[in-house]
Amino acid sequence: MIIQTGETTVHDTDICIVGSGITAAMMAAHLAEHTTRPILVVEAGTDTTPLAQRARARERFLAYGESPWKSDHLDDQNAFGTTWGFSPSMHVGGLAMHWGGVSPRYSPEDFRVRSLYGLGDDWPFTYDDLDPFYQEAEERMGVAGEQGPPALDPRGKPYPLPPLPLNHNLRQLQQWAAAADIAAWSTPSAKNSVAHAGRAPCQRCDTCYPVCPSGAKYSPDFTWETLRRAGRVTLLTETLVRRLEADATTGRITHATGNRTDASGAPVQIRARTFVLAAGFVWSPHLLLLSRSSAYPDGLANRSGLVGKYLAGHRNVNAYLALPLDLVPGINVQHSLVSKQFMRPGRQTRYLRHDLRLWESSVGREPRLRGDDGRLLLGEAMLRDWQQRAEGATARVRGYYDVLPDRDSALTLDASHRNRFGDPMPTLAFRDAPESAALRGWQEEQLRDLFRRMARAGNGTVLRMENSANDLGQEHPTGGCRMGTDPTRSVVDAQGRAHDHENLWVAGAPTQPTASCCNGTLTFAAVGLRTAAAIAAG
Amino acid sequence: MPDQPPPPREPKQPALPRRHFLKTAGFLAVGTAAVGSTGCDVKEPVVVDAQAPTRRLGFDRTVLDALAATVLPAQLGEAGQRAAVDRFVSWIDGYEPVAEEMHGYGYADVRYLPADPAPAWRAQLEALDLLCRRSQRSGFAEATPIQRTTVLDAVLRTEPAERLPAPLAARHVAVALLAHWASSPDAWDLAFGAAVAPLTCRPLADAVRRPEPLAVDAGRGDRA
Repeated sequence: MIIQTGETTVHDTDICIVGSGITAAMMAAHLAEHTTRPILVVEAGTDTTPLAQRARARERFLAYGESPWKSDHLDDQNAFGTTWGFSPSMHVGGLAMHWGGVSPRYSPEDFRVRSLYGLGDDWPFTYDDLDPFYQEAEERMGVAGEQGPPALDPRGKPYPLPPLPLNHNLRQLQQWAAAADIAAWSTPSAKNSVAHAGRAPCQRCDTCYPVCPSGAKYSPDFTWETLRRAGRVTLLTETLVRRLEADATTGRITHATGNRTDASGAPVQIRARTFVLAAGFVWSPHLLLLSRSSAYPDGLANRSGLVGKYLAGHRNVNAYLALPLDLVPGINVQHSLVSKQFMRPGRQTRYLRHDLRLWESSVGREPRLRGDDGRLLLGEAMLRDWQQRAEGATARVRGYYDVLPDRDSALTLDASHRNRFGDPMPTLAFRDAPESAALRGWQEEQLRDLFRRMARAGNGTVLRMENSANDLGQEHPTGGCRMGTDPTRSVVDAQGRAHDHENLWVAGAPTQPTASCCNGTLTFAAVGLRTAAAIAAG
Repeated sequence: MPDQPPPPREPKQPALPRRHFLKTAGFLAVGTAAVGSTGCDVKEPVVVDAQAPTRRLGFDRTVLDALAATVLPAQLGEAGQRAAVDRFVSWIDGYEPVAEEMHGYGYADVRYLPADPAPAWRAQLEALDLLCRRSQRSGFAEATPIQRTTVLDAVLRTEPAERLPAPLAARHVAVALLAHWASSPDAWDLAFGAAVAPLTCRPLADAVRRPEPLAVDAGRGDRA
């Protein structure tokens, strides 16, 4: 229901979801199927580039580096500080409009790090608890995956789609990994290995990141399209939620206020029975901190003082290896092998958990302008040189390793940056927990040792190794509204409900106590679905 | 989310960090994509921005064609080299200065593509011709291959990079033309001697087979 009160537009709904990214889309789909409650989704940005325009957008990305998602951000709404892993994307579908579709699950150990290894924190539920929600997320997205060895890759049910095939290059890399005693298999991906959900199968266009021209890769706009067509959600675009208002006595959130982000900047109010923050690890805690009042001087849901704290992520070590194989670059660059062998170690004297991915690569085999003697290479000389360099094979290997967050790994409000409405923008400062910081050098050396061992096992050599950009932030970031059972040590409970406000829920990435050591999007969505199930259950 | 985002760009590095991602991921092919299968087919008409300032289009083809004959492989043949130049001109004519770059990882600020490089490249073509007349006593188009190469050696002496830059980041038109061709799927196929057709939408099932070897004369003719 919409009411016009002066210049303010008032929306009255039952469930209000703030944000329209992948977690929000999964949750809305679940809620639409399991309740009859009206759902209003509020997105600060505009609708995204339609599928029909993505082939041309891809062409211009390849030709010039242009963004396929033009104007997917608000110029005055951004984060500062150590923003590695953060994207200012703010449009329908969020950052997942240009994700790579890589969809591994965390491992059971991620949920019990304190119990198993004596550092960090346990999650308030187990891998087995999350398994059905992982499955639901995989089915809603359409994840194509290969069952790895069950001891390394436990799951309750098979993947919904058959795996993306191992191509000519990956089959050889798999054999090489096996020679190094590493089990590796087709990386699970939210890409159609066969036609699915009215969308085409993958055609290995190899621009999954940043844009899939065929629609084979799942992106949240597909879910929104379905839900909007069915009349099950109302998507309110170009509307920035700037505050939540809570009743000082009951703690219930009564309404949200904000403004249109179009030229009008007109005020908006949203009344709802249930509020869900699904705006990612930056904007969800940011909104809670912005919602200060005399009754809640530190912002909402912040009795513990932990809103914005415990930002988590992981780092990587990456290497290129020359191998005596027959790898032909370009067959399907964005597909890879994955191993979870190193995510599941037993008890350790020193903590290290990491994933492992393997790709074909063209590093060292590209054309060049000058030869080894410094002479200019033009015409046939350039091509002959390139053809010589093209012989042989390069593999790329990379391990993300688990980094445990410090309490003061934090998002704070930064008065030196404000949006057009005067709100302070967030500043991020990632910090490792002391026990993690102390292990960093050793952990990275272990990964480099692994890559050297892998090179030797394949009679190859290491071309180069590099660490992820050091102090710029971390990858696949999470946290800022961590979940837990103790209200003094967490912001939300195990279902994502704020300890301090019974009708306020935070979903997905911000609630995670840790960020594991693999791509996080599937887990963000699964955790969000667990929250959606709790909301639907009343 | 990308698996290996590039490090944040240094202030003076050339643009195109997203393509750098594709490079680090393992492969690069730029250029106006000659895509051929359904998933990549462009069905939408080009939308022209009526507000955009008018850009001068095209190049002096006489000198540019002579340049192509010097910097591109001879085995492309005249027709192949001409086609490569056609695509280069079409590519830069279609450029939109300061369009938004792809963003997302490694930095939070929105960045924009560089200014139009074409005016400088046109001036460089004129300068090539002038220098050739002064030093070789012949216009660039009329000069022998050795004379042209001598001029290019002198002009590109200060080009520091061993690797070819992304075409848009090339400081000289000779490097831009070469880099544009070298980033095409056909060039990669020629280098690897196999019909890979990278970054072209292709059936998924075919990925399990080794790409077919290129025909012996595949470099000739219109493959540019």
